[in-house]
Amino acid sequence: MQLYDPTVKRLQRNFNRASALTNLEGKTIGVLENGKLNAVSMLQETATLFERRHGCTVLPMFSKSNASAPAPKETLQTAAQNVDFLITGLGD
Amino acid sequence: MSLKTDRIHEVEDNLLATIDYCYEQGWTDGLPVVPPDVKRVEEMLLFEGRPPETVLAIHQATELECTVHAAAVNSVMAGCKPEYFPVVVAAFEAMNEPDFNFHGSTASTGGSAPLLIVSGPIIDDIGMNADVNLFGPGNRANATIGRAVRLVLMNVFQMIPGLSDKSTQGNPGKYSFCIAERARNNPWPLLVQEQEYPPGVSSVTVFAGGGFCNVENHGGNQPEQVLGSIADAMASYSCITLGQSVVVLSPEHMRIVTSTGWNKREVQEFLFSRAIRPVDGMKSMGKFRQREYDKQHEEGQGGHGTSQLIQDGQMHRGLGPEDILVIMGGGDAGGHSSFIPSWSRGRGSIMQSKPIGVCIDCD
Repeated sequence: MQLYDPTVKRLQRNFNRASALTNLEGKTIGVLENGKLNAVSMLQETATLFERRHGCTVLPMFSKSNASAPAPKETLQTAAQNVDFLITGLGD
Repeated sequence: MSLKTDRIHEVEDNLLATIDYCYEQGWTDGLPVVPPDVKRVEEMLLFEGRPPETVLAIHQATELECTVHAAAVNSVMAGCKPEYFPVVVAAFEAMNEPDFNFHGSTASTGGSAPLLIVSGPIIDDIGMNADVNLFGPGNRANATIGRAVRLVLMNVFQMIPGLSDKSTQGNPGKYSFCIAERARNNPWPLLVQEQEYPPGVSSVTVFAGGGFCNVENHGGNQPEQVLGSIADAMASYSCITLGQSVVVLSPEHMRIVTSTGWNKREVQEFLFSRAIRPVDGMKSMGKFRQREYDKQHEEGQGGHGTSQLIQDGQMHRGLGPEDILVIMGGGDAGGHSSFIPSWSRGRGSIMQSKPIGVCIDCD
């Protein structure tokens, strides 16, 4: 008997991690909240720690309305052009 | 064609051993599958006019693609007859609409399942059940079309429980969740007619359903009583959100509701105005969110023309009456309707519909 395989092959892609920052002092932070219940509070608190401990500058928070969908491409592009690093998290 | 020829498994000509082989490969939903024999798959493909490599849906996170061929293989495994296949195809075309967000609704802890609602003449053509035991077992078309959707999600899109499907508890509809709208003795225009598809065309509507809620009312004999029971279920603190709703009125409840001439729009408006919880109550449950309230009370008033229905100090379910899909289904006897809540906490998935087996306004 011959069976068709019901699965499909994944596309072969190379994903590379961004190189790590050598230090955090004075860096510009982006914060992306995902619309979940406590996301804003948790991320604000986290960003405040970076401000206090490392003199970071926190940009106005980025948002996406749907936690389960990718952030809009424009949001990510804007963030990538203006921040040294970006924080996000679930916030449930 | 590599799509087909390099994906063939040669197995011994022993049916039971082949079923075990499918288990060993991890291809099942836990129940035995029909082995995806090449001949059966080719027969399935005869019911789709496009080439087998045609892509029906793409997973946004992994970029995995469901082709017509892959859908046919999994439909065979689910037990579908070839004539069911156009429904499976249309369902994935609907799920592929970005606003349905099938990745999120399938991967989420919320545990929703795509509910398929079929409307139109194909129901009789392929022998679907719109009657007794609507959501239950016993009808091959309902059961296997819904199951095919699950097998595609698992085998093609790798929505595997514990890996990429993180449902906290899931729901039984994740095995199969497919119903047909009842046309017999239905006093209202059918869903497919409301959707303004041409005469003779059938449709499938997909909705990320968070479960199933039976609404029993055998004592009420006025529309307000029956619909009040349903609105109460919709406003439960367990599930009230800005999300959409599906309500399936039983024929008995439908007779009561329409006995004084209520049309569907009036039912939707009644449900929307009654499926409410006070802000203080929402706060007491830890479920109040100011921005959701603002969205409902701003968009609801401006965007949906339902300002007279939006009540200050109350959270309604959904943004407006049109967020409540109401159809009729089930057996003649029994004061049992149903409410299907949306996935998790809001509008992460918006229901979509597609015509079945035809191409309308497409390239």
